Amino acid sequence: MLKIHYGELNSDNYINNPDIFFNNTYEDEWMLDPMTIEMVRDIDGSEIKGPRLVDSPFLGPISTERLSGGVKTLILMEHDQDHIFNASACGDNCAKWILKIGEKKDLLIRLGYLMDFGNDSFEIQIENIGKIVHDKKELFEAVLDNELI
Amino acid sequence: MIGKYEIEVYNNRVHYFLTVKRNITVIQGNSATGKTELIRLIDEHNTNGASSGITVKCDAECVVLNSSDWKVRLSAMNGNIIFIDENAVFLKTAEFAQAVRGSDNYFVIVTRDDLHQLPYSVDEIYGLKNVSDSAKYKSFQKTYNEMYKLYNLGTQTKISPDIIITEDSNSGFECFDIIYQGRCVSAGGKSNVYKMLRDQKSETKLIIVDGAAFGSEMGKVYRYMSEFDKSSILFAPESFEWIILKSGLINVPNAITDETFMHADSKDYMSWEEYYTACLTEMTRNTILQYSKSRLGDAYKTAGSIKKIAGALPEQIRP
Repeated sequence: MLKIHYGELNSDNYINNPDIFFNNTYEDEWMLDPMTIEMVRDIDGSEIKGPRLVDSPFLGPISTERLSGGVKTLILMEHDQDHIFNASACGDNCAKWILKIGEKKDLLIRLGYLMDFGNDSFEIQIENIGKIVHDKKELFEAVLDNELI
Repeated sequence: MIGKYEIEVYNNRVHYFLTVKRNITVIQGNSATGKTELIRLIDEHNTNGASSGITVKCDAECVVLNSSDWKVRLSAMNGNIIFIDENAVFLKTAEFAQAVRGSDNYFVIVTRDDLHQLPYSVDEIYGLKNVSDSAKYKSFQKTYNEMYKLYNLGTQTKISPDIIITEDSNSGFECFDIIYQGRCVSAGGKSNVYKMLRDQKSETKLIIVDGAAFGSEMGKVYRYMSEFDKSSILFAPESFEWIILKSGLINVPNAITDETFMHADSKDYMSWEEYYTACLTEMTRNTILQYSKSRLGDAYKTAGSIKKIAGALPEQIRP
């Protein structure tokens, strides 16, 4: 299940800057995973040509380290089991992928803004208050009524 | 620092156009729109100059402020446009807010999180958009961009609110309560606006906030309203004092309200809201219309004055 901690988070395994963390920790095999390839294609509009090479439509051939901060964070969420990542590095266009990853495993992330998880129903636990919400309205009201951000 | 600055940043792959005109500009938006790339280009240009192959055109120097030694570096900067990426650990600290106050620099901050300690304008929150299909040319586009500063209006041409929620609790509240004939309630500050919106069960609510400093609340309040409270309207003029300055009640040079960026020095004013308050206070000193933020003077409450102030409101929400 996807669990979200809203607002500031103090934890030894919390990664505030997933962009830099990714550059220094990613494994080559992560980049060839079908879900990574799909996420990079969807978010960055880029094609992974190999574990260390990406073809970007506007930057040309780039190294993996120059993927967007959002897609790097998604790749970390999918492959790194040991850390809590700052999902504010991800825009709304990453929301569907976060939900997908959260369907496959328990995933705890941190958010500092009202990410739009779309109009379909979902199951998200708001970690600060232990409440499980099932749609956007329930989520927004739980976060804002409890002044979590 | 005053002024309006056109900024052009490019290499052979990507080309950015930006305009900044207030001390704080915020960039938000989807992933992979090029926000971090913009900061990387400016940083590499700072480090390597023309040898970088990157061109930065601007009348002010553009620099990037990173986490290391930020206080020392910032204290030595004057007249710069300072870009800060979202991962800078100091962004939400009181120390940084204190450093912005009185700074002779403009700040362009990439962040999706709200920065509660900084009074930024709803008008200076931008996303980066492609200018053409090529994805090479990118420019700022306002995230909240409505004519007449009326948000969530939809196709309505005139609204008759059951209740009016004002961010102001003093002079602004007093004035709007007269204009709307006793139908106003005060939120008592910008951070209480969402709570008031939820607490008031009336059908149609008009919320009046000081747009010049409401940026940190806009993501929450407007996102909620636009999804789940579609009958309520948000009016975000610069400030109550700006309405008075625009109303014609006192003789004000147009440049004060139309070219504020040329007058509101970031060293003296943290936001344009502070500037308009200072202007109105100074211009009316020792006159019958002497302005005080804490209490509305009697001269503002006369039928003639109220008519003029109400006349400065957009027609759609005028009583």
